[in-house]
Amino acid sequence: MEDKREIKVKVMNLTKQFDELLVLDDISFDVKKGEFLCIVGPTGCGKTTFLNSLTKLYQPTKGEILINNEPVDLKKHSIAYIFQEYSTMPWLTVEENIRFGLSIKHMPKELADQKVEEYLEVVGLTKYRKYYPDQLSASMLQRVVIARAFATEPELLLMDEPYGQLDIELRFKLEDELLNLWKRNGTTVIFITHNIEEAVYLGERILVLTNKPTKIKTEIKNDLPRPRDIVSEDFVNLRNEVTDLIKWW
Amino acid sequence: MESKTSRFMRKNMAAFMTIVAFMSLLLVWELVARFTNAGMFLPPASEIISKFVESFTVPIGKHRMLVHIGVSLYRVGVAFIFATIAGIFLGVSMGYSKTVEAIIKPIFEFIRPIPPLAWIPMSILWFGLGDQSKFFIIFLGCFCFITVNTYDGTKNVDHVLLGAARMLGASERQVFFRVVLPSSIPYIFAGLQIAITAGWSAVVGAEMVRSDEGVGWLIVMGMTNGNTVQIMVGMLAIGIVGYILATAMAKLEGRLCIWNQQQGI
Repeated sequence: MEDKREIKVKVMNLTKQFDELLVLDDISFDVKKGEFLCIVGPTGCGKTTFLNSLTKLYQPTKGEILINNEPVDLKKHSIAYIFQEYSTMPWLTVEENIRFGLSIKHMPKELADQKVEEYLEVVGLTKYRKYYPDQLSASMLQRVVIARAFATEPELLLMDEPYGQLDIELRFKLEDELLNLWKRNGTTVIFITHNIEEAVYLGERILVLTNKPTKIKTEIKNDLPRPRDIVSEDFVNLRNEVTDLIKWW
Repeated sequence: MESKTSRFMRKNMAAFMTIVAFMSLLLVWELVARFTNAGMFLPPASEIISKFVESFTVPIGKHRMLVHIGVSLYRVGVAFIFATIAGIFLGVSMGYSKTVEAIIKPIFEFIRPIPPLAWIPMSILWFGLGDQSKFFIIFLGCFCFITVNTYDGTKNVDHVLLGAARMLGASERQVFFRVVLPSSIPYIFAGLQIAITAGWSAVVGAEMVRSDEGVGWLIVMGMTNGNTVQIMVGMLAIGIVGYILATAMAKLEGRLCIWNQQQGI
């Protein structure tokens, strides 16, 4: 069935070259509004460069990225980016960290207070609101970052292997939490990972990237019903299909 | 079972050892000064301590000890405040702007190795014999440490945090005040801590420039008069006050950078 949602992000001929090294080679794709898109590729294929170019942390060598048909502008478009490394501000408490993005965007205090409470509750950190990042475990840190990102109610949420450093149990838990937030808020999500199971579990669509210079090898629609069962036959088949596409050995 | 005495001993072993070491040093010092020829150059510890205690009631020169300490603290305080303002400003500017770094850093690195004492003649020429030249010498003693540490702090801001703030739509001004500055604070405090001690050490040199009060003056005047007891009383005062200043600064850092030393859960 064709996806009738409007286009949120349009990536056109995105190319990034560092001196002689061509990392991204003429990538084009669209992301629909409210879509959960996963991007997978072999390790070192330039996935992070891809996101960084998308967000203009790197200036692309060529190509254009449009959000709502306008060139990306971080001041105008509300984009949240969750990195693999924990990006909590160490000098702020849990609640101050969640408030950080809201006050950057000059949200009125009362509304911000309300959002902070709401997202502390959603990620289950109300009890730890006065704690500093140094006192928290890895999964709690990543929850703070996720709460901070969702609290700003971004139009687009970019995630770069956010659970790469967590053990499997915590990863499952946070993945479910993420899916709940995505459904609840209707956020458009681009999720980059090298973990195929994670991509199949989360995504509505999976873009498979090639080795450097990175291109889009193919895209796979993922209609498996939710909640997805990672040991079901369909799930395993799809996972194997993606694995075969990624294989470079 | 462990007896009460041995448990007390185990818990307080470090303090106990420090006291024993100190007492032994004082005892050996006392014996050497009293019963060997070294006594000609080294006054007995007991004499220094009793003179030090006495100096709080009986003036040395024009003033009692508290006034000497107060005057020196005032000089260090004024210089330290100016050094803090200038050091943080320069350190942040060099760390944040490549242009300022390119212009200022080579000049700064050239001036940095020159010890504050080497500036005494020029400071007299520029600022005269009053307090201003003393401020200047102490300022130089503090300033470099604060600048270097602030610069390092600003340079070492975690790029992930900068990226996170920018992605949330922070302007460069917001990035600076809400990420760069707070994340540099532990570095700045480390600089302030070294600087206050260095500034307090520089007070002796500063008070060599004509003065008639201050702990540095006690030493300089003791040297002029060949009064070894007074020299060592001055040294003792510098040591004690220096220790208090360093401890106070560390405590202040503990209060202001509470996030930097929390225990995990």
